[in-house]
Amino acid sequence: MDTHPEAPLQPNAVPAPSSGSAADGVNPADAHLGTRRRTESVASLVLLTATLMAALPALGILGLLIIRGAPALSFEFLFTMPLQGMTAGGILPAIVGTLWLVGVSLLFAVPVGVLAGVYLSEYAGESRLSRIVDLAIVNLAGVPSIVHALFGLGAFVLFFRFGTSILAGGLTLGVMTLPVIITSTKAALQSVPQSFRLASWNLGITRWQTIRHVVLPNALPGILTGIILQVSRAAGETAPVLFTGAAFYLPVLPDSVFSQSMALSMHVFALVTQVPGLPDSMKYGTALVLVGTVVLFNSFAIALRFYLRRHRKW
Amino acid sequence: MSDAHISVRNLRASHGPKEVLHGLSLSIPRGGIYGIIGPAGSAKTTFLTCLNRTLQLVPRASSVGEVSLNGIPVSNFEINDLRRRVAMVLPLPVGLPMSIYDNVAFAPRMVGMHNKGELDALVERCLTQAALWDEVKDRLDQLGTKLSGGQQQRLTLARALSTEPEVLCLDEFSIAIDPVTTMRIESVLVELKSEMTIVLVTNLLAQARRIADRTAFFLNGNLVEEGPTEELFVAPTDPRTHDYIHGKFG
Repeated sequence: MDTHPEAPLQPNAVPAPSSGSAADGVNPADAHLGTRRRTESVASLVLLTATLMAALPALGILGLLIIRGAPALSFEFLFTMPLQGMTAGGILPAIVGTLWLVGVSLLFAVPVGVLAGVYLSEYAGESRLSRIVDLAIVNLAGVPSIVHALFGLGAFVLFFRFGTSILAGGLTLGVMTLPVIITSTKAALQSVPQSFRLASWNLGITRWQTIRHVVLPNALPGILTGIILQVSRAAGETAPVLFTGAAFYLPVLPDSVFSQSMALSMHVFALVTQVPGLPDSMKYGTALVLVGTVVLFNSFAIALRFYLRRHRKW
Repeated sequence: MSDAHISVRNLRASHGPKEVLHGLSLSIPRGGIYGIIGPAGSAKTTFLTCLNRTLQLVPRASSVGEVSLNGIPVSNFEINDLRRRVAMVLPLPVGLPMSIYDNVAFAPRMVGMHNKGELDALVERCLTQAALWDEVKDRLDQLGTKLSGGQQQRLTLARALSTEPEVLCLDEFSIAIDPVTTMRIESVLVELKSEMTIVLVTNLLAQARRIADRTAFFLNGNLVEEGPTEELFVAPTDPRTHDYIHGKFG
């Protein structure tokens, strides 16, 4: 767009109320309008570019996985044991192992994380101690997963003598997801208006009853979103289960939390780095199943949130 | 006063280091409407929160002095029992995010009342007292938060009545609602005053004059004077009361 001050103005430009300077042919208000429009279109272009740059790699990865991996998908691939040192057969134990690991991590991280979030939001108040705890939790969320893995190895595998097992691996994943579950629970609770709590307290309703009947039900969508996003993170991480629970090649299904098991993320790593001469489609297929599992969890989260939002009460 | 329902002696309250109530003494007689007027910042709300000890919910706030209900210091009551006896209606209407019925039945249920018949009767009585029953009786399962502002304030009032309080405090209940609803609630209060003591904090001088039996004038955290409403408005003893009533400040 031409923005030279003496250039003809756009036909649809709104004439500014006449002021002193309008007499010399150039209306400064109109020129200013041109500048603003140009800024506006530049801004939306920049924002669109940024959005595309964020979206394209994600779509590219997914597209590549589908194109290369889809041919490998079959009933046999999903529901049978691997054969001949993983070069043939299916990936059932890895799928089942991932579900076990995620299940154990949830059983640990959800109660602990949600209750801690409730405490921090509703009981701790504003003290020096609670600020320190907050800071510690936020920092814990930033700890690389390999460090969690080493912690899990030291604490669960060796100190508690769980050995390399689903229990140790699941707990390690649980510890890794805990900080985000705590933080998102706290944020969800704090988004419930304070006026609801005040109204309830003023009725002589106890703090816990207020939390149980007024605050928690209304924070539920936010809490669930946080949890389920962490589920998909737990399903996808390789490092935490590397030393603690996942087996490289174990073509049997786990029979208890003390068994070792395979895991999808670990299996992708193993296929890509350790098995020469494997058809590409098997590697891509396994990765596709892993992404599919994560997407499944996420779409469950989105559906649940949608359902709860529709029943939002204020 | 011998039949004082609430008596306050030398009450001081602070928000952090700043004292906002400076040793206030006051007796509120049993029954009737007790109006409290005064410009913004004269600690009227802080005074109310000392009556049901909601002041302690405010971070860094504290109070000293004696507040008694029926001659018993409020600090001797179990806190939630006190708040059931001394109900509070806050300035902004709050429909809790549950049905209209549950809004009113909430507090009774929390102390163990679950009999459907009793709850039904109580909900109807409280909503009727709050002049809301006729408008909502056919949609009690609708969300309380979806009502209009004026209806929500009457719902708030019905909820406050659900604990069968002996004292009903209202903190500028009309600032967010329309004049028609205000008048309806005022007439509700006039009906209720034979059953309970009503403490009405208001910015509207005309409101205090219309319905309060006695009125107190607060200024900067002190009680300037109090007395029968008509006397206070017609012949105030303190020049500051005279100035405030005649709109010279505040």
